[in-house]
Amino acid sequence: MEDWKGWLLNRVTITFGLIAVVVIAWNLYVQAHDDGILEGQVVNEAGEPVAGAKVVLSERTIVSMTSIAETVTDADGRFHFEGHDRHALVLTAEMPDLARSARMEVQLYFKNQNRRLPSPIVLSGAA
Amino acid sequence: MHRYPRWPIHLILVIVSFVMLVPFYWVIKTSITGENIFNYPPSLWPVDPQPFFYVDAWYAIPFPRFFLNSVIVAGMAIVANLIINAAAGFALTKSFPGKRWMILLLLACMMIPFHATIIPAYLITAQLGLLNTHLGLALPAFSHIICIFLFKASFDAIPPSLIQAAKIDGVPEWQILLKIMLPLAKPAVATNIILSFIWSWNDFLWPLIIVRDVEMQTLPLGLSTFLAYFEDTTGSLYAFCVMVLAPGLLVFFLAQKQFIEGLTSGARKG
Repeated sequence: MEDWKGWLLNRVTITFGLIAVVVIAWNLYVQAHDDGILEGQVVNEAGEPVAGAKVVLSERTIVSMTSIAETVTDADGRFHFEGHDRHALVLTAEMPDLARSARMEVQLYFKNQNRRLPSPIVLSGAA
Repeated sequence: MHRYPRWPIHLILVIVSFVMLVPFYWVIKTSITGENIFNYPPSLWPVDPQPFFYVDAWYAIPFPRFFLNSVIVAGMAIVANLIINAAAGFALTKSFPGKRWMILLLLACMMIPFHATIIPAYLITAQLGLLNTHLGLALPAFSHIICIFLFKASFDAIPPSLIQAAKIDGVPEWQILLKIMLPLAKPAVATNIILSFIWSWNDFLWPLIIVRDVEMQTLPLGLSTFLAYFEDTTGSLYAFCVMVLAPGLLVFFLAQKQFIEGLTSGARKG
């Protein structure tokens, strides 16, 4: 009995056990949050929602940036992407011929992570 | 009561430790900030730290595959080192004709750098059909002469009366090694594990020569690939460095006490 305690309660077993627990917990968290949902809002410089703005989702790799999806904001200026399967993203919004936003980098902690943007995308020069 | 004040020694040790730890701090700081290393003036403290660069490094290359390869190779090296070095160290504690010459030969072999024997090692591995395999990667790391001497020094410190008592009881030699010598030489075992792990883990040249497929690359090889392909990725590059270093540091910290004991056990009397 004492032998088993010695084997179980030593720093090596505890350290690797804790690492295993963290890895399992992280993977469970990932499984529960990996629908690739990305939501946010587009506003003008006055902070008012912009309906009908085109939002482009691009993947940023170390050497390039590739557009992967685009959508249009609803009446509240909100947009929604799903199943992007990437971890480094860039969002841009524009009202053709009227206004354009700066690039907004979205850094995720795993591919397909669900994320609601904490701050809206701001169109500069929008009426 | 000491004859001299200890604080100057401690002060020097603190300064030396600080100087040696600064590069590690800088690597970790850059890995969480992505700050360009040529920034002037450099910031001493992390500005806007975040773990994203680790995610970037994880996905930029097949990290889990490289990690698995390194673990398999290091695991094989550790097991082989323990078996071969303990057996050789045990043999060197015995008296046999030509023992002195054998020790001299081993010491002489220690002075030959691995780079000088790399072509024959490659040819032998190729003849065995082990190129581009885990066994081929681990083979040259199966025994280190310095570890044989560590075991020998450790076994020499065990009282001969213990071994004689075991022999009188009819215990075979391999059981004397396994059940008496090794349990009493735990620091040497820990030192062997740490050294064989770190040397195998950090080995770059041998994997570079015998690995053909990306799938068989180990972490140091992956690091060089990362460097070659992605030059402007300071944060991710440093994050990858930390990910390569972390397992070695973890193993060292876990067996630090035994490691120091193992290295010094042959250096003192009694």
